[in-house]
Amino acid sequence: MADEEGYLAVSGERITLQRRHHSASCREFLVRCPRLQLRSLSAVTCSVWLVAYGLFVLCQNSVVLSAAIFVTLIGLLVYLHFVKIDQESLLIVGSLGIQMTSSYASGKESTTFIEMNKVKDVVINEAIYMQKVIYYLCILLQDPVEPHVVSEVVPLFQSSKPRLDCLVEVYKSCQEILEQNKKS
Amino acid sequence: MVLKVFFPACCSLAESGLLVGRWIPEQNSAVILAVVHFPFVPGQVKQYLAEVHHVTQVEVSVLGSWTNSKQAKEENLGRFLEDLSTIFSHDPWIQLSRKQGSKFWSCSTIWKHPSGDEGDETTLVYYDQRKVMLSQLHPPLDSEVAAASSLDRKVENASRLMAMFNTVSQSKVLFMKDRYDEGPIKLTHWQSEGVEASIIVELMKQASVPACLLVTFLLSLVSRVCQSRALTFWPLSFIWSKLSTCQQLRHRLQHLQVISSPKKAPDQSQLMRKANIFVSILLDVTLGILLMSWLYRKNRIGHLANALIPMADHVAQQLQDLLQWLMGVPAGLKMNRALDQVLGRFFLYHIHLWISYIHLMSPFIEMILWYVGLSACLGLTVALSILSDIIALLTFHIYCFYVYGARLYCLKIYGLSSLWRLFRGKKWNVLRQRVDSCSYDLDQLFIGTLLFTILLFLLPTTALYYLVFTLLRLLVVLVQGVIHLLVDLINSLPFYSVLLRLCRSYRLASGVKFRVLEQEAGKPLRLLMQINPLSYGGVMQAYRLPTYSCYPKDSWGSLCKKLFVGELIYPWKHKGEKQD
Amino acid sequence: MACRRGGNHKHCLSTTSPSISNCHKLPSCSSRTHNICMVSDFFYPNMGGVESHIYQLSQCLIERGHKVIIITHAYEDRKGIRYLTNGLKVYYLPLRVMYNQSTATTLFHSMPLLRYIFVRERVTIVHAHSSFSAMAHDALFHAKTMQLRTVFTDHSLFGFADVSSVLTNKLLTVSLCDTNHIICVSYTSKENTVLRATLDPKIVSVIPNAVDPTDFTPDPSRRDNSTITIVVVSRLVYRKGIDLLSGIIPDLCQKYPNLHFIVGGEGPKRIVLEEVRERYQLHDRVRLLGALEHQDVRNVLVQGHIFLNTSLTEAFCMAIVEAASCGLQVVSTKVGGIPEVLPDNLIILCDPSVKSLCNGLEKAISHLKSGSLLSPEIIHSQVKTFYTWRNVAERTEKVYDRVAGEIVLPMGKRLDRLISHCGPVTGCIFALLSVISFLFLMFLRWLTPDYLIDAAIDATGPYGAWTQQYFRKKRETLNSNS
Repeated sequence: MADEEGYLAVSGERITLQRRHHSASCREFLVRCPRLQLRSLSAVTCSVWLVAYGLFVLCQNSVVLSAAIFVTLIGLLVYLHFVKIDQESLLIVGSLGIQMTSSYASGKESTTFIEMNKVKDVVINEAIYMQKVIYYLCILLQDPVEPHVVSEVVPLFQSSKPRLDCLVEVYKSCQEILEQNKKS
Repeated sequence: MVLKVFFPACCSLAESGLLVGRWIPEQNSAVILAVVHFPFVPGQVKQYLAEVHHVTQVEVSVLGSWTNSKQAKEENLGRFLEDLSTIFSHDPWIQLSRKQGSKFWSCSTIWKHPSGDEGDETTLVYYDQRKVMLSQLHPPLDSEVAAASSLDRKVENASRLMAMFNTVSQSKVLFMKDRYDEGPIKLTHWQSEGVEASIIVELMKQASVPACLLVTFLLSLVSRVCQSRALTFWPLSFIWSKLSTCQQLRHRLQHLQVISSPKKAPDQSQLMRKANIFVSILLDVTLGILLMSWLYRKNRIGHLANALIPMADHVAQQLQDLLQWLMGVPAGLKMNRALDQVLGRFFLYHIHLWISYIHLMSPFIEMILWYVGLSACLGLTVALSILSDIIALLTFHIYCFYVYGARLYCLKIYGLSSLWRLFRGKKWNVLRQRVDSCSYDLDQLFIGTLLFTILLFLLPTTALYYLVFTLLRLLVVLVQGVIHLLVDLINSLPFYSVLLRLCRSYRLASGVKFRVLEQEAGKPLRLLMQINPLSYGGVMQAYRLPTYSCYPKDSWGSLCKKLFVGELIYPWKHKGEKQD
Repeated sequence: MACRRGGNHKHCLSTTSPSISNCHKLPSCSSRTHNICMVSDFFYPNMGGVESHIYQLSQCLIERGHKVIIITHAYEDRKGIRYLTNGLKVYYLPLRVMYNQSTATTLFHSMPLLRYIFVRERVTIVHAHSSFSAMAHDALFHAKTMQLRTVFTDHSLFGFADVSSVLTNKLLTVSLCDTNHIICVSYTSKENTVLRATLDPKIVSVIPNAVDPTDFTPDPSRRDNSTITIVVVSRLVYRKGIDLLSGIIPDLCQKYPNLHFIVGGEGPKRIVLEEVRERYQLHDRVRLLGALEHQDVRNVLVQGHIFLNTSLTEAFCMAIVEAASCGLQVVSTKVGGIPEVLPDNLIILCDPSVKSLCNGLEKAISHLKSGSLLSPEIIHSQVKTFYTWRNVAERTEKVYDRVAGEIVLPMGKRLDRLISHCGPVTGCIFALLSVISFLFLMFLRWLTPDYLIDAAIDATGPYGAWTQQYFRKKRETLNSNS
């Protein structure tokens, strides 16, 4: 039912891909990013506080110190709630549609569901991202008026950015289900 | 093709019976709305369904049978259920059954005309009937798109879920039947529990009609007075269009007219708009009254008035000092003395006039403020608009200086640029809007050079005056801009929608999400459908109320260019109007 | 997409073995294939000689079994990666355009992306085009740091006198002193480049440009024989001698009442021509067509009798070859590599002055009136054989083969070469820069090691998805024919 494999992300981080076969036409893929490291967290906190302490020594104003504490706390909250994504999942139900969920480190989940009749295809595409050229998986949406036109491209696994070998795995399974759906 | 069965979660504990719902053939899916319990008379069920169909226009029919087996008398019941399929003929006939203590249901479908694919898969989707009924899918289907899809039946690309949502929300009548009603048919479905509250709502509805009529009558009176000839002839209408208070009052008047109109809102978005306007006005007036109560306590108005005159004096004094400074050697710059003196005296005289005007006004200021303060009961926005107008009036001298400086500067820049073209043997061709080459006489070149030199050497003096007064003007514009932003915010924020999103998040749905439930091999796939609420950004986008003021169309770059060339700039409001 | 291609690829492999005997009919694959990366700021949708040169050369190289990719900068909304005909892959990099479609150069800011692309496409030869392109020079610099083989094609001539050429020439010296091979489009251009960059002439080859003769066929029926039409097709800029043209038009129009001009192209000098037209009331006789699409050029050319080229500097003028291929009598200025391009019986050469050009045109007109001009078909059949892209690709391939056997200068030797070759000041500065670039490369390799970069799926080349399809299609047509 569920098997798990380790892969690398574009940035070199280790990610795991978990596949769940719920039924012939329903599959789920979970890409799990590494959790927030205590090491990096403490490094950032220490550096902020050191800078604040330096400022405090310079200007002898204790407001700086309390501000630094607030900044780290609020920054951490914002980071956990809006930035850090722990897990991204892709649920394909052959007859219904494709659902993408990303779970933030704080537990917040944001979900998007695309109905099957709007999906034109699932493809692997190349893009220039930051100073890199990467492959990514995306859903092509059909234009409601002209069925041959792609109206929108929805990228998948945006935060984890798995490498090509992982994408190919997901791509093949997706295509199987899409083929089934087209046949019937 | 996979068969989809949408099953209301509240019926999962219902006793055995018949499944009533709508079959959507193009999607191969069945939307179960209710369960009819045993015992029943088939004729009555059919009659009842026909009635429901007549009222709701939803094709409700018996789709299959439902078995919730607690006892072990399955064999004969199974045969009985198969017999039922001959009475209520439906293609396909769905048989759902649930065993005691088991989470997994089994489902079988019987097709009257077996089409060959016997290995049909079934997907069970549970949904919350109440939430689906009350929720509003976003973005709402545009009337144009709807028309297009009705024209072209093949392009049935309007959301498929929309059909399911519509089915549930249209068959509200079906759910009105109470559990305790005595009748020939017993149904299980979602039931509302707020009958008492709805009585109060009914009373309110009854009372609101005459109130609305009254308000409409008053509003029509007010608007007729506003449109009377005496108030719309030329100089007055010009003034009205410049005062932001008038704009705000007009805007609010329109809002009141919208919410007091006795016509029923045609669709959901209009209804939401009305509610948003209502809450916005309510909030606005509440804030205004709070402000007023604060102002009129402890003679704060008097303090304010007393502080205002010295303030204006102080500003004037500062300006005078600034001008004196400019007339000397500002920042070590050597200016053209004659021009400098002329400009400085001119501006000083203006300030003198201004101060005397203020002193003439000073005895009445407290009274004016007192009456103006009363306007806060019309709402915070009106009070803020009045404040903006007062600022504009009190800084009129700065505006004048700015206009003089800008005009002078603009003239010089214009002259310099055309004379520069003359040097290069070019001229501006007005007809073709381009620069042509042109040969000039010696006299023309001589005069041009002379003028160019004069203009060039006088430019720094003018530019300095222009710079200083532009900075002052920008300060005023900034303050006014902030006030207008605040007013716009109150005018345009959809408070009701935001509250709705906060408390009843399922009412504004951006779509759905599914969760895969635990399952067993050989049994149908089970999914739980939940409502995916609209994000706050989406709420803002969908329900933002339109406002009357337009934001600056030109970017920072074009603003800087305008400043450099010496074109006049205005506060952010009414850009189009004021420029002519 | 990529995977689907992969699927096809496998499928093809299985079918190749039985029909290997057909392979000799296909364009002969040379013994070794290269992964070539063309770099230039100038590529489609921009229009011009360099652009079409890169495109056509790449297409012919793909046909010969090499893997070719093109790197250029983004044009407005054309960003990212695109595939053109036959799987020619183009990277439109999001770099800021500075002047005249040329990117700003800091030598370093483009390095991370270029290095990433070089690694993921497993490039072996970097081929830069045009000395005006800052990106080409950047790419050469980075490629040398990364120990890749480099080739450079110079498409333009340059002076030696003014400040800007002195600076550009110095830059060119630095850029080319350790480049493996340089290609010029004409012998004049070779001389010029060797002098400017103080190069060893042995590493400079001459490979002319070409035109596709099938695109430029004559059509005398489109001509209006009651009048004489002179066609000018060029960008309307100073370098193309538009000021000369503005002197020629009124003179000749006064002399010959049935003379017409058609001017195709767009540019800042258009206004000069418009003024001439208005001043002498020549609206009915001088037609300004504005910017032309490449496929429209032929339709404009065949409407005329005489083609006029007024360029002030030109390394290899493709426009006159195109015009001659359409069967027009060509009148041109005698500058740069133009005298080498066409034989004397097809071209009338003049000095770059209004008077000389007028004389040349009058000579052409008198030929035309007396009927002693060659007929368009004869001219076309002559020109057809001169320049073909297949030939160009073959010769370029030889350069690649030669370069592949050479070694790239290691860092120490490269520094020596820079200091000894480019003068004490510039040499030292650039030696320092190349050391910094080497350190930067080290840093990038530490940041994203090569093994973390996904190898791109080939579109062209021996293992390319497109190549397989292409060959299969050819094979099918061959089978059906036989």
